[in-house]
Amino acid sequence: MESVSIKRKLKKAIVEANVFMNEEVRRVVEKYAGPFNEALKENISVAQEEGLPLCQDTGMLEFFVFQGHNVRIDQPIESIINEAVEEAYLENPFRFSIVSDPLFSRKNTGNNVPAVIHVMPVEGNVLDIRFLVKGGGSENLSRLYMLSPGADIDEVKTRIIEHVKNNGAMACPPLHVGIGVGGSSDKAMLLSKLALTKDLHERNADPRYARLEEELLEELNGLRIGFQGLGKGPTVLSVHIEWSPTHIATLPLAVSVDCYLCRKGRILLEDR
Amino acid sequence: MRIDELKAGEEVKYSGELLVMRDAAQKRIKNFIERNKTLPLKLEGKIVFYAGPARSPDGKKCGAIGPTTSARMDEYLEMLYSLGVVATVGKGKRSNWVVDMCRKWKRVYFVTPSGAAAYLSRCVKSIETVAFEDLGPEAIYRIHVKDFPLLVAIDVWGNTVFAG
Repeated sequence: MESVSIKRKLKKAIVEANVFMNEEVRRVVEKYAGPFNEALKENISVAQEEGLPLCQDTGMLEFFVFQGHNVRIDQPIESIINEAVEEAYLENPFRFSIVSDPLFSRKNTGNNVPAVIHVMPVEGNVLDIRFLVKGGGSENLSRLYMLSPGADIDEVKTRIIEHVKNNGAMACPPLHVGIGVGGSSDKAMLLSKLALTKDLHERNADPRYARLEEELLEELNGLRIGFQGLGKGPTVLSVHIEWSPTHIATLPLAVSVDCYLCRKGRILLEDR
Repeated sequence: MRIDELKAGEEVKYSGELLVMRDAAQKRIKNFIERNKTLPLKLEGKIVFYAGPARSPDGKKCGAIGPTTSARMDEYLEMLYSLGVVATVGKGKRSNWVVDMCRKWKRVYFVTPSGAAAYLSRCVKSIETVAFEDLGPEAIYRIHVKDFPLLVAIDVWGNTVFAG
């Protein structure tokens, strides 16, 4: 595969994720009648007309690359992705939100890279790249709970619901909630991010997890946090769970949330 | 607009000046004060908007702009009040401590819509850098706004729109 073509497609997807509203979220916003509804509605058309980002926090970009074992690219995928992000952010009125080191200088890198990139080898000849445009406000709500392996479903639900209840208003609700269960601590966090890349109404293939997603959706909406945390409209727009085998002594539970905008994208390419 | 007459839940279309700053700039102001250095700006009577704009589309007008999470700024709130700031603007719920501070200092906390940054940029009539330009999007900016949508989230009596 040619890196030039991958980069071009990625750039386009990155710009669109920042400027164009997710269609399903748009329909929810159009029905919303509470405080600031005019601003939220008009924002969609102003962004599109002027090529401005829907939110000033144009995020840190997180990529999840599923690379088929037969896919060969003329450049490492990490560098293609970082070049795509840098060019997209330099050529558009987005914000550079990345600082070079977290503790000492915190100097802005001035090009919004590096992105966070996870590459996962899979079978086949397809290159599947999914990404999230992740704002800092929602990222600060990421949580990891190392539960006792004997914890029951109710405890899992309580942890998630309490967390959203106490903090949800800070992360631009209605929220998208990604949950990772099992694996190790790091695997659970990664799964919770992957859960956020799913389509809004997609349900887990396992009916037990699908039911848990439905229950959480209903109970989280019962919190009545609403748009902007002001109590009107839905509290969460989607809940997705990803799970993985885990150790006999552990039950990692990771929660990631995304803001109502749900800025994400996906490109699928085949190596012929 | 009289700060001490506003009631929690009230919506206001504000026209006037806002001082834009967020985490890094406030940390630096705190550092200036601790070292007895002269601040590069006056905060007396000002309204602080917790935000960091996206880049301008043409180098002149304000780019996409919107509030960041106010709860992160709580540690600098008393500092701002003691410097004369009359109100803050941001997004999201703040702690009970902030509610007490608003009552004690007779100050207001406003929210403005988050995730509406393209729309809000249209309400900004001018933007200029006031201090700490090296911080890029985290520098301090002065903006003049027209019909900027605000909602009183905490009023001077300590009433709040956020549950719990």
